[in-house]
Amino acid sequence: MVVVRIPSLLAVQAGGQGTFEVEAETVGGALRQLPVSDLLIDEHGELRRLVNVYVDGEDTRGLEGLETPLAGVSELRVIAAVAGG
Amino acid sequence: MGVLLLCGTRKGLFLIRGDDARGKWDLEGPLLTGWSVFHAVQDPRHGDLHVAANNWVYGGTSHRSSDLGETWERSEGLLLPEDSELKLEEVWHVEPGHESEPDTLWLGATPGILFRSDDRGESWEPVRGLLEHPTRDRWQPGAGGMCCHSVQIDPADPKKMFIAISAAGTFRTEDGGETWVPRNKDVAADFMPDPFPELGQCVHKLLLHPARQDRLWQQNHCGVYRSDDRGDNWERLEGNGLPSGFGFPLAIHPRDPDVAYVIPEEGAENRVTSDGRLGVYRTADGGASWELASNGLPEPAWGAVMREGFASDRNDPAGVYFGTQSGSVFASSSEGDSWTEVARQLPPVLSVEVGEWS
Repeated sequence: MVVVRIPSLLAVQAGGQGTFEVEAETVGGALRQLPVSDLLIDEHGELRRLVNVYVDGEDTRGLEGLETPLAGVSELRVIAAVAGG
Repeated sequence: MGVLLLCGTRKGLFLIRGDDARGKWDLEGPLLTGWSVFHAVQDPRHGDLHVAANNWVYGGTSHRSSDLGETWERSEGLLLPEDSELKLEEVWHVEPGHESEPDTLWLGATPGILFRSDDRGESWEPVRGLLEHPTRDRWQPGAGGMCCHSVQIDPADPKKMFIAISAAGTFRTEDGGETWVPRNKDVAADFMPDPFPELGQCVHKLLLHPARQDRLWQQNHCGVYRSDDRGDNWERLEGNGLPSGFGFPLAIHPRDPDVAYVIPEEGAENRVTSDGRLGVYRTADGGASWELASNGLPEPAWGAVMREGFASDRNDPAGVYFGTQSGSVFASSSEGDSWTEVARQLPPVLSVEVGEWS
């Protein structure tokens, strides 16, 4: 079981819930269980460009991306990139 | 019933409620904070608010409210088919369907996408006839992406519709969206090697007159045009009072098909108001001549108006409304004879539409 934390804007879209506990083998498997998964993963199964996902503080883009295994991971954190205006 | 202005901004949605005399206005918002509201509309068939909203991180979404903005539902899974090579970029325009199809809505998006909903905006399916259009490889994006920003439905026949995409041009369907034909004859595309191509025109806004369904108006990158035969032929309408043919917004009178309004800009390379004034130009003769209708508008002013930022109501006399990139909203309850600022210091206004409240 991994704890998934999402930003406040997404929590509003998830009915006010900002933290989830999910069972999944990979990062992608965990994100796809969220009610806001379509805001994180595009139609081709790729993480949106400005969405960053960290497993226990480590950026998954430096690991195996959505295929990063969750074995031994306790927290998965979704953070919006510093972008926009 | 009072007038309800739905003002989409770069930072959320604002509602402005007018009293029965359209003389006193109350501002509410921002709603849908964190979202850029490209377009918001009230469905005249059941009063729902529908919003096309984008976020630079999370993409394009549609939201619906059945209680005038107190609570919202987002349509989940607004994506293109996996077998398409395209990605949904942004959503631009939501259009309630024909009154004979009360659960149907249309949603225009980039890149050159039109979605249809048959459950009042809960779920959307891309229109395949446009997604797989045989001319798609000849379309190109404008500065705002390849946006499908105009969706117009013939009040007399739900199968007859028009859309406009920048820069692919105007398209017409007569079979409810199965097939689309370009309708751009004599519409200039000065940025192309052939300045009058079959398609590829940069339409900025397209409107069908509800009382005269053969008549279309368009504000284009390259001029203002009118068609009196459902887009088969277009006539360019400038050099007769307009300071510039370049501009984005367009509004029409709810009953008189000869009355239209534009707010020109200097040009494609200098996108500010023409002559440094917030100038509404009005025609009462089908575009043969234009007059400045700016009584009450600020001067000098350079804050131009986006393509969705101009609207009219159905009252008599008609109300006309627009919002600026500098965050002001102006209203005229006299068909443009005089204007009043009804909101200021909002985020940049992206869209203005008219609904009602009681």
